[in-house]
Amino acid sequence: MRVSIPTPLQSYTGRREVEAGGATLAEVLSDLDHQFPGIRFRMIDEQDRMRPHIRFFVNGGPVRDLAQPVGERDEIVIVHALSGG
Amino acid sequence: MNDAQLLRYSRQIMLPQVGIEGQERLLASRVLIVGLGGLGSPVAMYLAAAGVGTLVVADFDAVDLSNLQRQILHGSSRLGMAKVDSARQTLAELNPEVRVEGYKGSLTDATLPPLVAGVDAVVDASDNFATRFAVNAACRSAGVPLISGAAIRTEGQVAVFSGRPGDPCYQCLYPRDGTIDETCSANGVLAPLVGIVGSIQAAETLKVLLGVGDTLTGRLLLIDALAMEFRSLRLRVDPACALCGAAA
Repeated sequence: MRVSIPTPLQSYTGRREVEAGGATLAEVLSDLDHQFPGIRFRMIDEQDRMRPHIRFFVNGGPVRDLAQPVGERDEIVIVHALSGG
Repeated sequence: MNDAQLLRYSRQIMLPQVGIEGQERLLASRVLIVGLGGLGSPVAMYLAAAGVGTLVVADFDAVDLSNLQRQILHGSSRLGMAKVDSARQTLAELNPEVRVEGYKGSLTDATLPPLVAGVDAVVDASDNFATRFAVNAACRSAGVPLISGAAIRTEGQVAVFSGRPGDPCYQCLYPRDGTIDETCSANGVLAPLVGIVGSIQAAETLKVLLGVGDTLTGRLLLIDALAMEFRSLRLRVDPACALCGAAA
């Protein structure tokens, strides 16, 4: 499925959209980490919790549970909090 | 409205969504703008030009040379001047009919509630999460709409939070626990990006005040100025939000 990567994490992927697979959001993040080592830790902490400045959206809606099932045709957007003004 | 006002605002009054009644509503409105930097500049200038009657402008800082690349409220002759005072001068030149009230103090959970009380909308144009969460809490408590914008590098985000129970707030989007700021001074920012984001905030503010159109309430608008793409995501109340969730 297509995953949109926020700018601060594009240093790992080299591009703003990538393809990843998995049956749940957690599996997709593991696949991303397999492809781009280290990227998962920038989003998920040691206790497997989403970092507070990272949010996940599947098909345009927020997902707060990493066990959320996802499908091959789903679109995942990873959002990085911004504070600049 | 007198003849001069009818002429000044004529291009706006002719919009069916505004009209004379809408313009009078804007003239009677009071808006708090938090931050007079890159975002606060276009917000304040457009709201003043559009005839929002009273602007409460808040910023503790003074104008620095590094601000002038994007903070178009201020100019080279204002270096070292309090941003609030610089804003007063620019806004008075743009539209002397607008009443501008300044606040130069810190913006915290203690100082914000009296500022938010009695305004019709709050525009968050600040540059740090501590202020953003404090502004959100004050708006949520007072039931005042919050027009939130942020920008850094070449990307921006805009959302409107109604302040009404049942609608999400900023803290439903990002939890209030030590999120680390990325500053424009450390990461850079493309000058017109803050104009794009601030202009969208100003447009949303006018829509909120007028009660017209579909605002960004319950949506997060992502702006990628490098690809020049806009994407809208849906927001929902977070059951774990201390302000809106089950624990609230």
